Amino acid sequence: MRNSNVKYLFLLPGFLVILVTTIVPIFSVVNLSFQEWIVTRSPTPGPYIGFDNYIKALTDDDFWNAVTITLAYVVIVTAFSIAIGMFIAVMVQRVTFLSTVVKTLLIFPFAISLTLRGYSFRFMLLEGQGVLDKILDTVSPWTADVLWLGHPYWALFWVAVPTFWAWGPLAGLMLLGALNNISTEIFEAASLDGASRWRTFWNITMPLLRPMIFVLVLLITLFSIRMFDLVLTMTFGGPGRATETLNFFIYRIGFKIFNMGYASALAMLLTIVLIFLSYLYSRVLITE
Amino acid sequence: MAASASSQTASNPFNRLINEVGYTLAMLGIIGFVGFPLFWISISAFKLEKDVKKATIFFEPTIKNFQIIFSDLFDFDRLIVNSLIICIAVVVITVPLALMGAYALSRFQLPFKRVLLILILATQFFPPVVLTLPYFNLFRQFSLLDTYTAMVIVNLTRTVPFSMWLLYGFVDTLPVEIEQAGLVDGCREWDILRYITLPLAMPGIVTAAIFSFILAWNEFLYALLFTSEATRTVIVGLVNVVGERDVPWEQMSAAGILVMVPMLIMSFAIRKYFVEGLTMGAVK
Repeated sequence: MRNSNVKYLFLLPGFLVILVTTIVPIFSVVNLSFQEWIVTRSPTPGPYIGFDNYIKALTDDDFWNAVTITLAYVVIVTAFSIAIGMFIAVMVQRVTFLSTVVKTLLIFPFAISLTLRGYSFRFMLLEGQGVLDKILDTVSPWTADVLWLGHPYWALFWVAVPTFWAWGPLAGLMLLGALNNISTEIFEAASLDGASRWRTFWNITMPLLRPMIFVLVLLITLFSIRMFDLVLTMTFGGPGRATETLNFFIYRIGFKIFNMGYASALAMLLTIVLIFLSYLYSRVLITE
Repeated sequence: MAASASSQTASNPFNRLINEVGYTLAMLGIIGFVGFPLFWISISAFKLEKDVKKATIFFEPTIKNFQIIFSDLFDFDRLIVNSLIICIAVVVITVPLALMGAYALSRFQLPFKRVLLILILATQFFPPVVLTLPYFNLFRQFSLLDTYTAMVIVNLTRTVPFSMWLLYGFVDTLPVEIEQAGLVDGCREWDILRYITLPLAMPGIVTAAIFSFILAWNEFLYALLFTSEATRTVIVGLVNVVGERDVPWEQMSAAGILVMVPMLIMSFAIRKYFVEGLTMGAVK
């Protein structure tokens, strides 16, 4: 660690941009959250109404619906991503031609825009037309009549799919990295002691992977809690409000109902949760 | 590792065969899971409307969809240019700022370093929807709606913190000794950054640049709200192709290929550093 005259100069441009583009607008949102402003009624923000918007949020059924939906969404995405990731990591460990092919493919889903993923899966799920719908109808004929994205429960699952379709493979890559870091001596000692493959996996590998799994849970939670793009492209919150995540709810209140004051309060509530979560994340990562 | 652990229980040829078949099936399953949507969209782009309504792999190939996409109806050639302008501008601004900040965070003694790091982390995870409200008002007030400037600014909110964090993790792993030697020889910090650290940090810099490019290219919410005729990006173009009802899925697929292929190529280029970038080099 050295000292220098230029250290603040180096920090200034980057952090100035961060401050001005991210932190300063937040103050505007905080300010707006205490005001009443419905854009279609008046061109400028209205009177200050204290915590009314926040109280409205806490007593709004739609708000709590959005919270529940978002929670369910995060759980589904995280669980599937890590399960898929574990499976991929364990399978890809052995170096063969197939494993090289797989490893090359694993980053592609993540590079594809969420919007495109949403439309693609929506297309593939179309009743009668879509290839996924056709496959599923053959595999499980008792769900043949189900309109996947129009079903109150299935819709949320399918909105989760494009997310864990990308995060599963990515988690696989990350877990693979962690797996490869485990020294082979531990496995040799285990097999010398007569441990079966299954035993080795549960009692040795899993505990050693715990840090990475924890990082993944936090990371995936932080990314999926903000879900908006897929809701807009696949279901627009529907059917009814069955897939209205918190972010989409805020968007609808702000840009469809035009109640900017209320939307700001909601946004602040979400931000507080996220700040807390990213603080947790920082405790895990910043180790000095 | 897992290979050596498995070979000692698969002692007879029959078990080995089961293992191999299982392994191959599992791998093919993974390839199918990851690759199938990519494959399907790719072939759908070349299908006629009548073929896209049937979920078939036998069809009459056509390039009509691409012609429609590039026609005046959707103007995709102009949209690609728009996206390129925004993405390149974002990368050109982000990378130097992020590198300088990362270098300072890594090398210099800073009393509030932890605060700065938490700040970077927290801003990365702000939901974009939160910032749309003040930005919408701001851009409306200053007639910045539908400008490149506006799009570059909002994209910077995501790329700068992310790149700074990524490069911080990266620069931290570079050896300090060479820099010390440079200092002893009388180099200034600026020279050290430019002539010593920069070449060594190239993989990280390229990763940050490409990550930022991908983030800006795929950006949806801000583009949807802040662009219109003039600066529309390919993503919003995709939304327009889809429309409200009677969605022309074959045209959506064609647009989809244009949107996705550049990103697939770029992510392929940095695939080695992808994982490090996301764990920000902190979890080894």
